[in-house]
Amino acid sequence: MTAKLRFFAKFRELLGTDIPVPVPEGSTILSLVRDTAWKNKEGYDAIFDDKGNFHEFVIVMRNGKRVEHGDAAAARVADGDEIAVFPPVAGG
Amino acid sequence: MIKVQTEDVDIGALTAAAKVPGTGAVVLFDGVVRDDDITEMELEAYEDVAVAEMEKIAADATRLHRLLHVDIIHRIGRLSVGENILIILVSAGHRPEAYAGSRYIIEEIKKSVPIWKKELTKNGGRWVPGEHGHGRGKPGSPS
Repeated sequence: MTAKLRFFAKFRELLGTDIPVPVPEGSTILSLVRDTAWKNKEGYDAIFDDKGNFHEFVIVMRNGKRVEHGDAAAARVADGDEIAVFPPVAGG
Repeated sequence: MIKVQTEDVDIGALTAAAKVPGTGAVVLFDGVVRDDDITEMELEAYEDVAVAEMEKIAADATRLHRLLHVDIIHRIGRLSVGENILIILVSAGHRPEAYAGSRYIIEEIKKSVPIWKKELTKNGGRWVPGEHGHGRGKPGSPS
């Protein structure tokens, strides 16, 4: 079972993007992103606070739909899911 | 037309096409790269989601402000000072609806469309801080 992790803007610079990730049984959105971001301390710290929770400003999506932080800790990742993580938007 | 693209926009052709039957006012918003002591600006989008979000904003603006026609074209890639970033072109029967609809669209884009800007300078670059977090509270320090 695999999922795709996509980081954008500063998060992309630190962690890469379009990352195929094996999904261990029972993985949640929060755990999958945390395990992937862990490889780069600056990237991890940009996304997570010191308790391992998403910073309040971080936006998380699954398959193009927003996921609230509280739900990300319980939402199981399914095969083929696309998980996107990014900072506040700044278009226009 | 709702698009995210690297190419520039033919504003004249878009304006002509916006003058659909019943049009009494056309409003153009043209966001350009400002000379804030930068060399260039680099724009990045979560494209599929950005287009879907802009389509929703266009539909909402059309309904709320009785618009007759809407174009939203947001450019990505590397742009120089003075280049077009975002074109919003709306037409309506009268100017109050056209102005209000255009204003609604730009404000909603800034709230919810996943696009980011990096200002490139002689000394490197800096991400432009976003104004909106995850629907509650203010963002922390994103850049």
